Amino acid sequence: MYKLLCVLILLGQSVPTVTTSYHPLRLSLCEIEYTSGKQLLSINLKLFLTDVNEAIVFDPYSKELAFCQPNEPAKANQMLLEYLNRFFYVKVNGKVVDLKIKHKKLSGEGDNTALWVYFEAQQPRPLTSLEIKNAVFTDLFFDQNNIVYAHVNGKSKSLMLNKKTPAHQLTF
Amino acid sequence: MFQKSRHIYPFFFLLALLIGGCTAESNTSEEETEEEMTQRALEIHDRVLTVDTHADTPLRMIQPGFDMAERHDPNETGSKVDYPRMKEGGLDAIFFAAFVAQDIRDDDGNTRAKALCLQMIDSIVASTSKNSDIVGLALNPDDAYALEKDGKRAIYIGIENGYPIGNDISNVELYFEKGVRYITLVHSSNNDLADSATDSDGPEHGGISEFGADVVKEMNRLGIMVDVSHGNDSVFYDAIALSKAPIIASHSNARAVTEHDRNMTDEMLKLMAENGGVVQLTMLATYLRDAPPNPARDSAVAELRANMKPASEMTDEERTALRQAFRELSEKYPDPPATVKHVVDHIDHIVKVAGIDHVGIGCDFDGGGGIQGVFDASEVMNITIELVRRGYTEEQIQKIWGGNIIRVFKDVQAVAEKLQSEGLS
Repeated sequence: MYKLLCVLILLGQSVPTVTTSYHPLRLSLCEIEYTSGKQLLSINLKLFLTDVNEAIVFDPYSKELAFCQPNEPAKANQMLLEYLNRFFYVKVNGKVVDLKIKHKKLSGEGDNTALWVYFEAQQPRPLTSLEIKNAVFTDLFFDQNNIVYAHVNGKSKSLMLNKKTPAHQLTF
Repeated sequence: MFQKSRHIYPFFFLLALLIGGCTAESNTSEEETEEEMTQRALEIHDRVLTVDTHADTPLRMIQPGFDMAERHDPNETGSKVDYPRMKEGGLDAIFFAAFVAQDIRDDDGNTRAKALCLQMIDSIVASTSKNSDIVGLALNPDDAYALEKDGKRAIYIGIENGYPIGNDISNVELYFEKGVRYITLVHSSNNDLADSATDSDGPEHGGISEFGADVVKEMNRLGIMVDVSHGNDSVFYDAIALSKAPIIASHSNARAVTEHDRNMTDEMLKLMAENGGVVQLTMLATYLRDAPPNPARDSAVAELRANMKPASEMTDEERTALRQAFRELSEKYPDPPATVKHVVDHIDHIVKVAGIDHVGIGCDFDGGGGIQGVFDASEVMNITIELVRRGYTEEQIQKIWGGNIIRVFKDVQAVAEKLQSEGLS
C-alpha cells in the first residue's frame, strides 16, 4: 500500500502538506442574531484558541495574548480585531458593521479550548440583507471551514464559508 | 450484480503494475504477485456492498455554489465527498449526517437547532432529487442493494447530535418521516439527552438522561438506529441497557489500539458483540494512532520563533513572509501520517475482541476524517486492498464494508415492527 501511495503521489494525487492543526476539526462557528424588537445585532464567533494564537502570534500555545486571563495585555483585543478585520466582516443592508468586542470567554480545555468573541451593534433600520465574509484561518489551513448560523426575526439560515467561498449574502 | 465504475479500475490496475515493477511486498504469498493481489482486492471491492456510515457532507451542501454532482479536488477545497468521487472509490452507500453544533439549551436554542437541522435534511433530500440519475434517497436496508442494481449511489440520512430534538419527543418521529435512520445522541458537549465524551465540564446526567431514555425508546419504536459515538462511556452502557434493538457507533475506533476517549474499550467492544451491534471505524488521524514526536520540525520552528520580531510590530508583508516560512518548515518536516495500515490495525483488534460481525466503516469525511491513502471518497478501495493483503476473505470483507451495518439496520427495523405491533394489540 505504501508503494501505491508513492505512485499516487508521483501522479499528483498526494495528500497536501498543510500547517499542523492541533485539533481534528478545522472549523469555526459564527452566530448572528437580529430581532427587530431589540434593534440589536449580535455576532458571536467561536474559534479554537490554538488557531487564534497561531494566526496572530504564530504560536498555538503562546501565552502572550492571555485571552480572558487577568494578565491579558491591552494589545490583545486590538491584535484580535486586526486579524478578524482581514478575514471577517458582516454587512447589514450593504453597510459594513463596525466590530467592537463586547466581551470574550473561554470554554473547553486543552487543544479543544474555544475562544468566544461577542460583538454587538445597534441596528435601527429593518434588516433586509446580511452579507457575511468568514475566511478566518484560511491563511493557516487550506481546508478550514467556517459555519455561519443567522437568526433574523425568527428565521434561521445556515451557511458554510471557506477559502473557495469566503462570502455570501442572505436576504430576509 | 451491478458493476461499479469499470473505467476507473484499469487506472488502479496500472498503478498496481507500476508497484509490482517497483518491488514486491514481503508478506505477499509466492503464488500471488502484488499486482494480482491488488486486482483481486479491487474485484472484491467491486462485488461487495460498500457503506460508509458517517459523513458531514451536508455541511458542504450549505456552502453556496457547492455542487455534489461535480468532482472537487480535495487538495484545493478540502471537500472529501461528492457523487463522482463516490463512484470512483466504489462507495455504494453513505449516511450523510445532518449536524447542528451544540448551543444554548433553552426554547430559543432548541427551536433554532430544529430549524437548522431541517434545513440540512432538506439540503440532502434536494441534492438527491436533483441528481436522481446517479443517486437515490435510501430509507430501508435493502434500498442500498436496489439502488446499486440501478447503478446509483444510496444516500441515507443520519443526525449527528440529538440537540435538534430539543425537549420535544415528537421531533423524533418528525425526523424519521424526513428520512433520518440514525441519531447520534450527543456531540462534543453535553445536551439534554446524554453526556459527551469530550465536554470539559464533565458528565451531567451520568450517561443518558431520563429524557434521553425516552428518546431511545422512541427511536426503537420507529426503527431509528441509536448511535453512541461522541457519548461518554456511561452513554454506551446506558444505551446497551436501554435499547431494545442493537446499537451502533457510527464513527469510533478501538481504545486499546489508540488511547482516546472517543474510542471504545475492549469491554465495550465485547458488549457491542453481545448486543449484536456494530462499531464503524473512522478515518480521524488522532483516533487512529498516537501522533509520533517530530523533534526536527519542533526544533526548526522554535528557532524561527526565537528570531522573529514581536507580532504586534510586524507589517502585513512581514507577517505573510513569516507565515510562508512556517509553512515551508511544515512541508520540510511533515508529521508521519496516519495510514490505511492504522485503520486495519483497528479492524484487526475489533475482529479479535468482538468478532467479524461487529465492525464496519464510518469515515467521517468532511468532519475531519481523511488520512493518507483514504483521503477522500475516491480512495476507499485502499481499505479493501489492505484487508486482502492481511488475508481477509471476501465474505469477511463483505461484512465489514456493509453486511454488518445492514444486518443491524434490519434488526432495528424488525424490533420497531414488533414494538409497533405490540402497541397496537
